[in-house]
Amino acid sequence: MYGGGTIFEQPKQDNLTNEDPVLLAAFEARIERGEKIEPQDWMPQLYRKQLIRMIEQHAHSEIIGALPEGTWITRAPGFKRKMALIAKVQDEVGHAQMLYSAAETLGKSREQMINDLISGKSKYSNIFNYPAFTWADSCFISWLVDAGAIVNQLANARGSYGPYCRALDRICAEESFHLKYGHHCVIYLATGTTIQREMMQAAVDRWWKPMMHFFGPPDKMSVHTELLMKWKVKMATNDDMRNQFLDMYVPKIRELGLVIPDPILDKDEKTGKWIFSDPDWDEFFRVINGDGPCNKERLEVRKIAEERGAWVRRALSGNIFKPVTPLA
Amino acid sequence: MESLDPRIKPLNEVNYSEKDIPDQLKPYEVFIQLNKSKPFTHVGVVHAADLDLAFLFAKEQYSRRLTCSGIWVMETADMYVSELTDGDKNVFDLFTKDQKEGNTSFHLFILNKRGKQQVFLDEIQAKDVVSAISLAYQKHPEVMAYHVWVCESNKILKMEDEVADIWNTLNEKGFRDASAYRAGDKLKNFLAKK
Repeated sequence: MYGGGTIFEQPKQDNLTNEDPVLLAAFEARIERGEKIEPQDWMPQLYRKQLIRMIEQHAHSEIIGALPEGTWITRAPGFKRKMALIAKVQDEVGHAQMLYSAAETLGKSREQMINDLISGKSKYSNIFNYPAFTWADSCFISWLVDAGAIVNQLANARGSYGPYCRALDRICAEESFHLKYGHHCVIYLATGTTIQREMMQAAVDRWWKPMMHFFGPPDKMSVHTELLMKWKVKMATNDDMRNQFLDMYVPKIRELGLVIPDPILDKDEKTGKWIFSDPDWDEFFRVINGDGPCNKERLEVRKIAEERGAWVRRALSGNIFKPVTPLA
Repeated sequence: MESLDPRIKPLNEVNYSEKDIPDQLKPYEVFIQLNKSKPFTHVGVVHAADLDLAFLFAKEQYSRRLTCSGIWVMETADMYVSELTDGDKNVFDLFTKDQKEGNTSFHLFILNKRGKQQVFLDEIQAKDVVSAISLAYQKHPEVMAYHVWVCESNKILKMEDEVADIWNTLNEKGFRDASAYRAGDKLKNFLAKK
């Protein structure tokens, strides 16, 4: 589970005026009652567009997110770690498949989504534009990036779109071992030899900033998400999710004697909010727009996969070109 | 063979251009039966070149992490899909009582709770889809559903009982369970020393 669940482009809110007010009211009432919207139900164009974008970005994050961890399969320390990592990476790719299918029910084909990923039109979780130099980096991803994604996706699973919620339920059910495995790996390094401890600490130093970026820009920087919250597309604000993550995991990181590279990181017990240094949002925007250490390589891998699979699809090309939308 | 590992062979520019003709594989709908006492329930979709491959992908995608007693797979395009209703509007009431007997066999799946997934209702012999729905309603007058899907039975690939041993190795895959990763003692010792 990797998705940031952030919608990186802002919605254009002006096209609601074209929607039928009666249908719109019924649609909103259904969401208000806590019912799910199904692919065959009427929905406003804006809802459809935002959901496609969000589920698609989540799916991309799963397949791209498999790359920095996948690169450590061949070098995992020991047979058990290798088996676990293979299983985890396979799960993540499976999650992408389920999410692409959920997005397809809204009318955009999986192929078009992959094309948009490769052309850079469609984004994925920014954190995977950073490299996993050491085994400890892969452990950081397995434990803490997954933990961040879980915070986000437990929230989204309560959203309004049926196929997305059901995919998330399946994903969450498969997820229980990832987090435990990641924590196990980090505990073994952090309580190990001096060299192992240093390696783990170096990984925390490298990944903390991208981890703070993970939940997206602060609420005061994002255009208002009221409508998306009302429609239960977005279930929690970026700041709330970041705060929840810090609440749950900062004590666990510190308990291992690891130092988080932010001297002012602390919880304000009065407000319940964490105080942290500005994690350099300019860097976030720079990286998400293509200028990160691994953006190019990540997309090259997708292009190679497309190229290498082309002959198979050509060989199979009977009547497979007719686009069909999956049912639910 | 040249290494595919980017650490050994750095990725070069690939000669990639967006496809002129789309070449996406077809979607298939997947139903899983968790155990013999449960109905077959829709779990999702796979994309594949044909029904046999769809079955393999479905097995891997939807039964990799849990045991189940059966898998059915059919092409999305082969599924007749009714209107979706809500409130107290029974989808079966939308169909005329136009029942033509016949010897084509149909599988019917219904959505009996909005937000959940379609479950198998019955297999019905009829002349056509609409007659099958109507005959099913006659046979199950108590049924209340919001959505009905119908597929000709011979277009469904069903797992045969004798190949159910595909799940026999699940027990050896304990490394996929959270319970395989207990490190509480290690942590406790570490904290005690600290």
